[in-house]
Amino acid sequence: MRYIKLPSENFGKFFKSLGEWGTLYAPVKRGGIYSFQEVHDPAEIALDYNRTMLPPKKFFFRPKEAILRLKNGRWEEEVEAEPTVLFGLHSCDIHGLKILDKIYLDEPADPYYKSRREKTLIIGISCMPDEYCFCKSLGTHFAMDGFDLFLHELPDGWLVRIGSVRGHEIVWENGELFEEVTDEDLANFKEFEEKRAKAFQKELPQEGLADMLDLAYNSPVWKKYADICLTCGNCNMVCPTCRCYEVCDRWMDAYSSVRERRYDSCFMENHGLVAGGHNFRPTRLDRFRHRYYCKSYFDPTAGYNCVGCGRCDEFCPAKIEHVKVLEEVRGSLK
Amino acid sequence: MSENPYQTYDARILEVKDLTSREKLFTLRFLDPEVEAKFNFKPGQFVIVDIRGFGEFPISICSSPTRRGYLQLCIRKVGRMTKFVHKMKEGDVVGIRGPYGNGFPMEKMEGSNLILVAGGLGMAPLRSVLWYAIDTGKYENVWLLYGTKAYEDILFRDEIIHLLKHGEAMNCSVKLAYEVESPSCIYLEQGFSDRVCKGVVTDLFRGEEFDVNKAYALICGPPVMYKFVIRELLDRKLSPGRIYMTLERRMRCGVGKCGHCVVGTSVSMKYICQDGPVFTYWDALSTRGLI
Ligand SMILES: Cc1cc2nc3c(=O)[nH]c(=O)nc-3n(C[C@H](O)[C@H](O)[C@H](O)COP(=O)(O)OP(=O)(O)OC[C@H]3O[C@@H](n4cnc5c(N)ncnc54)[C@H](O)[C@@H]3O)c2cc1C
Ligand code: SF4
Ligand code: SF4
Ligand code: FES
Repeated sequence: MRYIKLPSENFGKFFKSLGEWGTLYAPVKRGGIYSFQEVHDPAEIALDYNRTMLPPKKFFFRPKEAILRLKNGRWEEEVEAEPTVLFGLHSCDIHGLKILDKIYLDEPADPYYKSRREKTLIIGISCMPDEYCFCKSLGTHFAMDGFDLFLHELPDGWLVRIGSVRGHEIVWENGELFEEVTDEDLANFKEFEEKRAKAFQKELPQEGLADMLDLAYNSPVWKKYADICLTCGNCNMVCPTCRCYEVCDRWMDAYSSVRERRYDSCFMENHGLVAGGHNFRPTRLDRFRHRYYCKSYFDPTAGYNCVGCGRCDEFCPAKIEHVKVLEEVRGSLK
Repeated sequence: MSENPYQTYDARILEVKDLTSREKLFTLRFLDPEVEAKFNFKPGQFVIVDIRGFGEFPISICSSPTRRGYLQLCIRKVGRMTKFVHKMKEGDVVGIRGPYGNGFPMEKMEGSNLILVAGGLGMAPLRSVLWYAIDTGKYENVWLLYGTKAYEDILFRDEIIHLLKHGEAMNCSVKLAYEVESPSCIYLEQGFSDRVCKGVVTDLFRGEEFDVNKAYALICGPPVMYKFVIRELLDRKLSPGRIYMTLERRMRCGVGKCGHCVVGTSVSMKYICQDGPVFTYWDALSTRGLI
């Protein structure tokens, strides 16, 4: 990895230069929440945001999108992707994208996701955890790859990690904005990381998590929470790794139709419904438990299906807390 | 071929045949000879049928790869799209993508006895296995135990009756259980008293001594059937690894993206569309919610 420094006074210029690579999106504050929006002026960016409501997955796997268009009785493909720069992703969201990559880029690759992914620059930014974050427990609090540049806050600028060839190119073309890293910068970087590590308030003991959950299939805790849950599906929508979709054909006029897909949620009753009305997850309990099993699945090559971003907690209208549920389930085993 | 896994290929309906009042057999061929030539499949695999402007749904291939040049699908009318397909006629065009799924391990089972256990519509994917086994002649004996509601519901009735009469010569022994009595059933029972009876599919196991060291069981039927059939097989000491079953879940993409067919828990999650739809009983024991 190559490390360089971006002094504070050059930040604005650097940000504007990114505009040459594509449309720029960054976290901004809208009402009480943060979201990734198109930004022209660096002053609009909420650099110290905690989390956006919708994760960056919305840029690659859209809440609703046409995948095929019917013209003259034939499906025409619609793979449009424009060069995009996503500025200010937190480490957990970069990990979230890596988990989605595993699914959408795996053969046969999803052409819509793939083309957008290839045309998008990812610029990470360091953050301080709030009361919902538990990424440290899952090892997703630091991104080793999956970005082009990663900016770490320093008292007088940013320590920049270069994570890709495109990252090198950006730095190369704006050479005059960057400086070499000094020992003092490294000491500051270390200090920030140590402070950050201590700031985590929530922890998910992941030791034996998958096995523990499997053993606790019949735990009464599932029912307790399923009874509180509103099955609204919010937790699915905001999760950076949830990616179930539903497909439907929609007529535009008498001659043309589109095949659309949109976010689906395993909390919806028809998620597991098959022909003849048989449902493989008929009760709210089945569906509630399924989500926890899916999120806590451990893939040896990609880790857990949860990156500890805390969105499902923050945006759950029933105030159900992911870690608390898992810990209670664990407790019920003893 | 296109890079887009969601694109489908035009296939013309060559023939539509009523099998029962609810099921029709569609014989299809791809319009593009190149697609036709490339389309290879294994018994147990499925395709996604695309009714443009209405939607897509998964259907097992019920013809055998040994009989090339066409593809057969047995479709039961249950809802919106299958109702639409049932109105289609010879010459109409549908979209097809696939084949998907793992299919049955036909090569691994060569030289063994096959016990096919079908319940209702489960006959569709197993018909592919049946004809594959008969056509290749690579299997010692083939038993087909078929449970059906009534005489009128017997899928591929002509073929089944033909095998009841002449199966012996093809090392194939068919047994049939029906639930609703009718003159036709009684007539069949009189003709084949050792092989046709009133009851459920598990009743057909009575008196059968399978050489379990040389046998594989292949099961397909409604969800409730699996537990009872598997118990019969385990009672006969058939190893769980030799029990194959093909399963159904809601499917959208067929290629491991849409998440609808995911089952299991944190230690083992499976995609029915890619890891299955064919699983062994070992898989069922290690993956909750599989059956
Ligand atoms: C691997 C596999 C193989 C199958 N093989 C056969 C077969 O050989 N013959 C046969 O008749 N049927 C088969 N089915 C079931 C068939 O897919 C459903 O009957 C069909 O999708 C019902 O669609 P519908 O619109 O008519 O029904 P509706 O009940 O109106 O369906 C409503 C919606 O639910 C969806 N849906 C309902 N059931 C299923 C399902 N099981 N899987 C995916 N989506 C579903 C439909 O796509 C539709 O959009 C198979 C299913 C699977 C998963
Ligand atoms: S957000 Fe909360 S209430 Fe809504 S489905 Fe998820 S757990 Fe249930
Ligand atoms: S399950 Fe909750 S904490 Fe985990 S990645 Fe999804 S939204 Fe974030
Ligand atoms: S059908 Fe979409 S993941 Fe299996």
